Amino acid sequence: MFKSIGFALLASTGLLTASAVCADTLDTIKERDKLVVGVKTDYAPYGYLNDDGEIVGFEIELAKYVAKELLGSEEKIELVPVVASNRIDFLASGRLDVIFATLGISAARDEVIDFTTQYVSAAGPSILAPEASKLTEWEQYEGRPVCGIQGSYFNKKMTEEFGMNLIAFKSQTEAYRALKDNRCVGMVFDDMTLRLKTLEPEWTDYKIAAQPYEFAPMGGGVREGDTVLKEAIDKAIHKAEGEGKLIEWEAEFNMPASEYIAERAKTAGAE
Amino acid sequence: MLDLDYSWLADPAYQSWLVVGVINTLKLAAISSIAATLIGMLGALALTLRIAWLDALIELFVEVFRNTPPLLQMLFAYFTLSTLGLQVTDPDTGLSMPLLSAFACAAISLSLFGGALAIEAFRSGIETMPRAIIEAGQALGYSRWARFWRIEAPIATRISLPALTNILSNLFKTTSQASVITVPELMYYAGQIYNDNFRTMEVMILVLVIYVTLVSILTYLMARLERWMAFPGYGKAAS
Repeated sequence: MFKSIGFALLASTGLLTASAVCADTLDTIKERDKLVVGVKTDYAPYGYLNDDGEIVGFEIELAKYVAKELLGSEEKIELVPVVASNRIDFLASGRLDVIFATLGISAARDEVIDFTTQYVSAAGPSILAPEASKLTEWEQYEGRPVCGIQGSYFNKKMTEEFGMNLIAFKSQTEAYRALKDNRCVGMVFDDMTLRLKTLEPEWTDYKIAAQPYEFAPMGGGVREGDTVLKEAIDKAIHKAEGEGKLIEWEAEFNMPASEYIAERAKTAGAE
Repeated sequence: MLDLDYSWLADPAYQSWLVVGVINTLKLAAISSIAATLIGMLGALALTLRIAWLDALIELFVEVFRNTPPLLQMLFAYFTLSTLGLQVTDPDTGLSMPLLSAFACAAISLSLFGGALAIEAFRSGIETMPRAIIEAGQALGYSRWARFWRIEAPIATRISLPALTNILSNLFKTTSQASVITVPELMYYAGQIYNDNFRTMEVMILVLVIYVTLVSILTYLMARLERWMAFPGYGKAAS
């Protein structure tokens, strides 16, 4: 009854937009008794497939923790693999409740979705190149072919500011292959992923040639205006931080201990 | 209600991406259309010679390139063929890199794919030639070659034209698959743009309009050609 009056009011003032309709995503989740999360499956250490083919990673642990807080069990979760180029559309179209998929906070994205609290401060992009490469400054890549991934938030900066000839692939596998084939002089991507790559046996003769120029906060994403859900998720993340869970997951997935996470754990724990 | 926002079109970066994308799409379509038509003509011509081993070879070519997805052919050319030999050394870095660029891989596989279809189109034109016409040519004392060039080829071309129009307009649209191997054509830049501004709907609508326009121009020109070439009984006569 009250709900329908509310809707009528919203509609009459012209405020009944998509965001108002999905304001009760949290109710839907509870009714369904399952949290549908978009995650990466090709992005170690955040979300990737282990040797048994299971999706694991830092953000998977976080997603499970949020499911436990919202629904009482970390089993009440459906992990949907997404890639950078489709995750926002999947979320906006209602196929997902929330995304924990290495989502960098940016103003352009903030216009179409809402971010949860920022649980990681990740290094921005760096460039992976053969050990012998002498191109150590970003400016030196001007006019040269550089491999990348379609949908990375820094792609425009690479072509417009650094003047790179960016060759953007649909997935990482193809980009790595093209780098090995020397189709590009380097590959521009998220620094942590590239660093982990250099530890793999076939990639030992590659190095991080250009260092990251920025550190970017990462957060989860919910639909625009999904405030109730956002607050519930923020509360859960905050609790996990206070319990030192994020530091545990960092260690579990071989991530270098970050000051940002330690700092947030301390603040959350003190409250 | 569709809430379309095209303000991003004012961004010079997006503008130049779109222009470069359209140019590359046109280049790729033009090269592969011309090459496909030539392959089709030569293949169908070779088939008329009735040389057993040549027929088998052309048959094999048609089956392989007509019956595999062009996307697979492009990926195969880009990731597999170009690494089996065919390397050049980049003077700047001293690294050896594949000789064939993404664009070259796409152009070659589209030409062969379109060519395989075009051979069939031209062959059907030659084969559906009314027997009576050939016999009339023989009765008039034409030699085999003169009969082919002066009677069969002109008629076959006109019979094949509508099928060729279909093939070329399909080939034009298939150029969009080259985005997967990073040929910077229209579809590739469309992806770059909506991944950057998240205006998926707006970008898709714009790209759709551009493709409809370009392919319409192509089919219009082909219809004009058909009309221009028409003679009584064959081809679309001017009304």
